[in-house]
Amino acid sequence: MSSTRKLCLSLCAICVALVSPSLFADTGGAATFRRDIRPLLETYCFDCHADGANKGNIAFDEFDSDQAALEDRDLWLHVLKNLRAGLMPPRKKSQPSPEEKARIEQWIKRAVFQSNPENPDPGLVTIRRLNRTEYRNTIRDLLGVDFDTGSIFPPDDTGHGFDNIADVLTLPPMLLEKYVFAANQIINQAVPTVPRVMREQVINGRQFRGGEDAPDDRNARGNRRGGLQLSYYQPAAVSNTFRADIAGRYQLAVALMINDRFVDNVHDYNKCRLIFRVDGRELLNQEYTWQAGKPYNYNYETDWAAGNHELAFELQPLTTNEPQTRTLSMQITSVKVSGPTAKEHWVQPRDYAKFFPKKVPEEAKARQAYARDVLGPFARRAYRRPVDDRTLDRLVKLAESVYRQPGETFEAGVAQAMVAVLASPRFLFREERAEPTTGGPYAFVDELSLGSRLSYFLWSSMPDEELLQLAEKGDLRKNLSAQVARMLKDEKSEAFVRNFVGQWLRARDIETVPIEARFVLAREEKFDAERARGRQRFNELRDRPEDQLTPAEREELQRLRETFRRSFRQQPRAELTGELRTDMRRETEMTFDYVLREDRSLLELLDADYSFLNERLAKHYGISDVSGNNLRLVKLPANSPRGGVLTQGTMLGVTSNPTRTSPVKRGVFVLENILGTPPPPPPPDIPPLEDAAKELTNRAPTLRETLAVHREKALCASCHNRMDPIGLAFENFNAMGMWRESEYGEVIDATGSLVTGESFNDIRDLKRTLVKNHYKDFYHTVTEKLLTYALGRGLEYYDVETCDQIVSKIEAAQGRPSALIAGLVDSAPFQKMRTVEVKQPDKPARSTQQRADARHKP
Amino acid sequence: MKRNSTNSSSPATPRHSGLSRRHFLLRGLGACIALPAFESLSPLRGFADSAAAARKLATTATGAPLRTAFLYFPNGAIQPTWWPKGEITDFELSRTLQPLTSVRDHIQVLGGLDHANATAGPDGAGDHARANGTFLTGVRMRKSATNVRAGVSIDQAIAREVGHLTRLSSLELTCDAGRNTGACDSGYSCAYQYNVSWSSPTTPMTPEANPRQVFERLFGAGSADERANELKRRRAEQRSILDFVMADARDLQHRLTATDRDKLDQYLTGVRELETRIQRAEKLGDPRNPAQDAPPGIPPSYAEHVQLMLDTLVLAFQTDSTRVATVLLAHDGSNRSFAEIGIPEGHHDLSHHRNNKEWIQKLSDIDLWYSKQFARFLERLRDTKDVDGKSLLDNSMILYGSGNADGNNHTHHNLPFVLAGGGGGTLSPGRFVKHGSKPASNLFLSLSDRMGVQGLESFGDSTGRLVNL
Repeated sequence: MSSTRKLCLSLCAICVALVSPSLFADTGGAATFRRDIRPLLETYCFDCHADGANKGNIAFDEFDSDQAALEDRDLWLHVLKNLRAGLMPPRKKSQPSPEEKARIEQWIKRAVFQSNPENPDPGLVTIRRLNRTEYRNTIRDLLGVDFDTGSIFPPDDTGHGFDNIADVLTLPPMLLEKYVFAANQIINQAVPTVPRVMREQVINGRQFRGGEDAPDDRNARGNRRGGLQLSYYQPAAVSNTFRADIAGRYQLAVALMINDRFVDNVHDYNKCRLIFRVDGRELLNQEYTWQAGKPYNYNYETDWAAGNHELAFELQPLTTNEPQTRTLSMQITSVKVSGPTAKEHWVQPRDYAKFFPKKVPEEAKARQAYARDVLGPFARRAYRRPVDDRTLDRLVKLAESVYRQPGETFEAGVAQAMVAVLASPRFLFREERAEPTTGGPYAFVDELSLGSRLSYFLWSSMPDEELLQLAEKGDLRKNLSAQVARMLKDEKSEAFVRNFVGQWLRARDIETVPIEARFVLAREEKFDAERARGRQRFNELRDRPEDQLTPAEREELQRLRETFRRSFRQQPRAELTGELRTDMRRETEMTFDYVLREDRSLLELLDADYSFLNERLAKHYGISDVSGNNLRLVKLPANSPRGGVLTQGTMLGVTSNPTRTSPVKRGVFVLENILGTPPPPPPPDIPPLEDAAKELTNRAPTLRETLAVHREKALCASCHNRMDPIGLAFENFNAMGMWRESEYGEVIDATGSLVTGESFNDIRDLKRTLVKNHYKDFYHTVTEKLLTYALGRGLEYYDVETCDQIVSKIEAAQGRPSALIAGLVDSAPFQKMRTVEVKQPDKPARSTQQRADARHKP
Repeated sequence: MKRNSTNSSSPATPRHSGLSRRHFLLRGLGACIALPAFESLSPLRGFADSAAAARKLATTATGAPLRTAFLYFPNGAIQPTWWPKGEITDFELSRTLQPLTSVRDHIQVLGGLDHANATAGPDGAGDHARANGTFLTGVRMRKSATNVRAGVSIDQAIAREVGHLTRLSSLELTCDAGRNTGACDSGYSCAYQYNVSWSSPTTPMTPEANPRQVFERLFGAGSADERANELKRRRAEQRSILDFVMADARDLQHRLTATDRDKLDQYLTGVRELETRIQRAEKLGDPRNPAQDAPPGIPPSYAEHVQLMLDTLVLAFQTDSTRVATVLLAHDGSNRSFAEIGIPEGHHDLSHHRNNKEWIQKLSDIDLWYSKQFARFLERLRDTKDVDGKSLLDNSMILYGSGNADGNNHTHHNLPFVLAGGGGGTLSPGRFVKHGSKPASNLFLSLSDRMGVQGLESFGDSTGRLVNL
């Protein structure tokens, strides 16, 4: 669009309006705009956003008509957010009165968004594929199998910060292949395919006694570690007594796995020897190095008399001088004893009756009927709704095509049909249907869809039998609040806490964020000019070809190398170990969990006088008098800077660079996840910064100084004035979340002020300010995040109404999460769906695009 | 397993005379990584004739398979230490490209190629997402967190035409195992940043990060002697359920809205792909099974991860399991720490170096680290004999590059690109050619021509073919 064609509001536009009858037909919105709103904009906004000024690419007078201005919903959504957050008009400019503010808000909601508080638009949810967490949980609840999707399926793409967003959950061909593969594996593992098998008894590693159990980190990598962990570094001897009821030949299958605590790019060269003995006879004697996650399986046969037999493992460490960097352990996963091998002693397989409750009939018709009896209920649970006869016919046919083949069992046929169910799009996608009785553009989703929405929201898994039955009977809506309460009491709701908090507050990322303890801690030493010079000299010499060095230089290089090596070999005084990382993640999850389940104020997430600590984490935080390994509620010392999620290791760590804190990222974290006013992304071409160190010859500049230089550029200032002061308030916490008073010998200055005007002295002060003055922003943000998570879609302008309604409920309930959950579950987008397809505009709003395009035209 | 039943008259047999599919399987695939390279094949009669014939799909003049791969390294390169001194054949490799000295005669450094669609233009911030998403597509991506639209990438455009020749039409790999939560670059969907390969504008070809999974997909799971059976069993299992899931999908399709149908289309495409793959596998027979253990999974060190992944790719090429591959070494914007080479800071963090000399040095070291991995890969290809007695590298076209040129300022012109391999005699390596300012898409067209793809008139923002390759 050329600038000459761009008409301004004002006289020209009015002239056009007079001669153009179509514009008389515009909605009342344009008229109200001219009468009530435009004068306010002229007073408070036009200085920067009209008459040729377009700060932040916003100009209110560059529309073809009032109607066109009204249709730019993205613009008005921005206006609404900035107005509410007190960001606009800027503090130093004159401010609209509360009544005027309310008038603009109301006008935006009613005239621009045309939202109807009685019947808000529920929005459009694309059919949702199960993400890998949901898939795993669903398989667990459907079949009792724990299938490690994390190591088989690729990570799901995220959108709006969550990995359950329908639009970005794509299904590339490779994933489909994996789904088919997984379906086979799972069914193989879960469903018996023969009526009788050799008797099997599995002795879990944990049933072996006598040794010290090395630290268990089941939580560190998605619950996948079972068995007994024997440390590589300590001798151990453990045993178990197996009782053979019947004399005969037995098979032993020993399953081992080598585990470690992942530390990026650090090797552990320790070795150990493992010996396995049966009744004192040595069957295995082998050396093991570090091969993380590598399973070992060994099979033996033995003739046993009836009676007791001793199975024993002995571990001998083989290296005493190697650094123990990755916490290696030998996992005794299990020993499976099968036998006696003679067929007359065979038994029904485990779980057989669960899938095949009666004897398999011989006659073909009866077999078909039985297959139907088994497959119908299975498909109903897997598809989360009753299946029609056509589908059942197909499933029975598939089963038949297998079990009719020579040598195949009936059970194998049924199992193959179950594989097909797990590979079906009706299992992999969550299909939703509308309640047939309602009319209008928005309909209630049917109760089965609602049941699935609830269960994937609160359990990240399929609905259980109670939900399914209520939905089938049409009784779910009637019992909604009781069901939500029941679901939150169920331990499956831990998945909600873990997945929501893990992503909203990024608690998940602390497990893997790269942090280099040595370098982080070095910043807390006084700046050592000599050492820095030495380092520089070393790099210089190192980078020259060796043959060009003089003998003296060579010697110097060697000497410097020795010095650095020596200091490098010393253990840093603290490390962000895997255990500590898990503690941090748990701390954040437990904080949220506590507020949720005890129905305490959501504001305690921002500031509280307690946290969840164990000895390790408390020590890391510098808090005394906590002992033991279990994280528990700990009342914090008076005036402690901890309390609330912002000063937990998770937030402080995940926003840091590997060697230092990043006040900018911390500021952005708070703006995005707490205040709900994320800054726009940085400009594409970041102007190179002058090296701030230039004027400071004898020391490195502090981050505060560097950032101050940064903010001198007007281009940077408008956003960095918002994020830097907040981020700098956290500078007393290093990149590992530890408290510190100084950096490079300079005392840390954590004072600052928010763009909304409040100044603060330190982090405690900032937290109090957030609670006191910004609680409403926080309620809005939590609501938006939770709604995004629950709906599996990004929020749009029409969701403002829903969010506002929920926020008033939270306010009325003094911030209780129960009001939030109930409000959300009752809300239109959670309860309803669109019944007609509404053409969605392309998402980078047309007008934003045009504004930008116009700007880039010569 | 099926090798014996595959005879030389099967339709999938390469059309040149004297070298049957069986022959190929038995002789050509011999050298797997753990073993010394296979002795060169005895004189190949009949090749002279086929050399005169029109360019065949993904086949060299000598009748050997022609492969292409695209490797992405993140965050651009420090320019002064990247570009060689001199030009054409008279040039001196720069510090960063020094590791390629051993394969100097097999590479050409390409100067002056641009991705105009990766520049900010009207879209503002998000250069890392764009660098990554534009790399092989050449298109401007829709700026949206969820409403994803890129373009078909060149590897997929090629795979569409040549994919039927091999058991896997293409292979997508990555050495980026983890994924952080939260949003990605400046309002762009993470899909742009973690994928370089796209089979349709809305379907990214998610890459595999686990070398073991890649290996098992190629050769089957289990010990070396169980694998063939395992592959066969997998196919049987897959086949038995296809009819049912297709019927289920059709049932579902009737009830869906347009956006939903797009999702279901992805499902159906996957099913069809699986179906044709089963047919192809049966027609082409099982791969020569490498006499080695499957890789153990994702190794702890990044260097090992990269090497293992690239070794697996060599195996895939060697066994003619695929002729098209992409490798995302790390996504653009990757903030990986390179502590193992004494650089504890994050790569992306460093890349905005503010002209700090020490940071620039470190970045240059990281660039060097990446080109070492690339050099090692090329050496492997060079040292592995192909069916026609030449090396795999002779019969390949391997592009190594980044979608950012200068990571500090986010520029997307004069991208750091190296094209390795002889292209089956169609490329003239051993040179540093400055192409002026041309769209990288022109290069893609020229590569797809060499792969025998026909009817591709333009691609991405191409303005023509890139000559002087």
